[in-house]
Amino acid sequence: MKAIVKNNVGLFSPQGFLDSNNNSAFLSIEDIDATLKLKVDMILVSMKKVIFFNRNGLDIFIKLFSKIRKLNHTIVGFCDYDQKQYNSIKKFYKDEINFSLFKSLDIAYLFSSSFSDKDKKVLVYSDDKHQRSAMAIELHNNGHYPIITQSEKEFEEKKVNREAYDYIICNTYLGEMSNMIASKVSGNAIIYTVISYLDTDINNTFNIQYHNNSLNVGFRLFIFDAYKVISMNVHALNFFTKLASSAAEYNATIAFVGLSFDKTPAIFKENLEDAGILFYDQMEDILENKELLKELGASSAANIKNKRTINKATVAELPRFIDATVATIEMMTNSKAIKEAAQVHKIEVNNRKGKIASSIGYYGDLDGMVILVFPTEIAKKACELLIGEETNDMELILDTLAELVNIVGGRIKTLLADDSINVDITLPRTYQDIDSLMEVVHDKKGVQVDLSFDENKFLFFLTR
Amino acid sequence: MVKQNDIDDFIQKIPPTPEALKQTISFLKIGELTKAAAAAENDLALKSYLKNIVNKPIYGFKNEVSDISQIFGILGVSQSQQTVYNYMINLLSPKEWSLFKLNEKSFNDLQANLSKKWSIILQHLDIDDENISSSISLLPSSIIIAEALFNKYIDDVNLLRTTKALDYNTILYRISKLTLFDICEQIAKKWEMDSIISEIIQNSSGAYTSEDSENKDTIKLAKWMHLLLFYELSQPLFVEAGLNDFIDFQIEFVSDIYEEFASVMEIS
Repeated sequence: MKAIVKNNVGLFSPQGFLDSNNNSAFLSIEDIDATLKLKVDMILVSMKKVIFFNRNGLDIFIKLFSKIRKLNHTIVGFCDYDQKQYNSIKKFYKDEINFSLFKSLDIAYLFSSSFSDKDKKVLVYSDDKHQRSAMAIELHNNGHYPIITQSEKEFEEKKVNREAYDYIICNTYLGEMSNMIASKVSGNAIIYTVISYLDTDINNTFNIQYHNNSLNVGFRLFIFDAYKVISMNVHALNFFTKLASSAAEYNATIAFVGLSFDKTPAIFKENLEDAGILFYDQMEDILENKELLKELGASSAANIKNKRTINKATVAELPRFIDATVATIEMMTNSKAIKEAAQVHKIEVNNRKGKIASSIGYYGDLDGMVILVFPTEIAKKACELLIGEETNDMELILDTLAELVNIVGGRIKTLLADDSINVDITLPRTYQDIDSLMEVVHDKKGVQVDLSFDENKFLFFLTR
Repeated sequence: MVKQNDIDDFIQKIPPTPEALKQTISFLKIGELTKAAAAAENDLALKSYLKNIVNKPIYGFKNEVSDISQIFGILGVSQSQQTVYNYMINLLSPKEWSLFKLNEKSFNDLQANLSKKWSIILQHLDIDDENISSSISLLPSSIIIAEALFNKYIDDVNLLRTTKALDYNTILYRISKLTLFDICEQIAKKWEMDSIISEIIQNSSGAYTSEDSENKDTIKLAKWMHLLLFYELSQPLFVEAGLNDFIDFQIEFVSDIYEEFASVMEIS
């Protein structure tokens, strides 16, 4: 059984009965290896479809959790359980619970630092006051508004007013949380959140692979949200200096926001500035200043000196990219997908209204980005197999379009491997309108191919 | 992905019931065990299957049973009919499995386990009806259908399932508006099985089922069947075969019978 990754959370969904007879059948050595290699915020086991389990049945997952924690500090635990299951798990492991318990997957997402949905009002209750505090801190750190209730009575009273809260949390337990540095995408900038003391540990907690991938797929502005940093030492200074040097090779900018030098030597600031790192007091100073964003490279690729253009190697593999897209659309729609026209130029989207897009980057022996642009109604048709029901929920449609592009990316990876070209793919990204897509690619040259299925036209764009 | 003509081809290729089997079943239906055994003797493959299946450990016979009339005598009318239907379903199974890691032996084990445990359940529910007893035989045909329809598309399915946890029944339904269990019903019709068999099977998916006063008894049996299927598909052999998530387990559908089921199956 493999974990399915969504919103940076890997989820196992066993079904039926979990006991000592079958637990190892659910997780082969290969499955365990694949899970350990996942770079995600959380690895969870959903109990939604488990009707019976005993301690022996869960032990295989507990062992996996322990390995994951040792290796990469990811949050691990169970989710989607009912009251009885929650009580059983707590009873089985009593004082040994170093994993987390989230009543539902949606609640787990609230504790995932990479989850894009923020500013949620969350009513929280736990009979353990340490847990109440821990949840409040984590939720607050992730950009939500926790309302903590001190007693069950208060909780029951408040929860009656269901509509006042986006989420209600109970029967949830936080085990060891991740100490990885949180990252999120805001517009065309990547924001890393650093807290407390920055020391040599930053080499372990900063996901350098994610950072390098972001550079490879064209992100040029990296902001460290450092409001909650108390101080940094010379090891962290060296780390950031090196990071700035490698960013310079891509003409990328690194900025710190809200960093106080009360307890950090002032000379460090000079050293960091010499390395090219910029300092701002408020996040809004950057994100709400379009001119500055443009200057820092976050709204356009125009100011990148060594502009990366579509190259011969990429064009040579173009049929693979188109085949992957065509095969995916055919698989999803059972219709013949047709290639209509291909041209090399900057992306051109006519009649922008009502269109959405999704992109996925790839890096390795080749690098670049595939973008698909659909009219919303046609995106729904293309994603019918994944959505499964009539919907006008734009969030769901965009989410599903990301899944479709992820499948295209997976297929590209396989097809290129046939030519002994090894690439990895990034997480997909979606754009709810063409203007936000244009902010990323308007100046990039690439191959634009008009495709259609059942006379429904959509656009494929391949660029670097 | 699976196309309409894949489904049509499969349905078209369901073989008609062989004559010897027809006769065997007709005699079993009227309780003529000796005549049924004589008819079964004419089908060597059936004979070998019956011997093989009843000598599996789950049937618990101390000595090898090899004579057909003896087999039918031990099994009784209901279980004999069920076993003959199991053989018919077995005729549909592929020579080589590729979607699921199964083989003839493991598939037969699954049939035998389901049949034996279904008999225990019917005994518990105090139901003695040869058609209801036989209905369990049709259940594994859903696995054969998934294998037949999806084996050409393993790569597509694997790719799809890296992104979304879709079971085969849901994929098929979204593509064709037909479920694996609708196709099971086609098999039942072609083989002139009693309508109660296909009704129970149709509802046993638990996914597209609505309960009303008229079908209350059928739904109750379908719930037991759904839970039994997942009990069996949670066995290590079948988890490893990739069967645990071949259809979606409807936990709410069976929640009201779980305690009783656990007691009957002696799950502690």
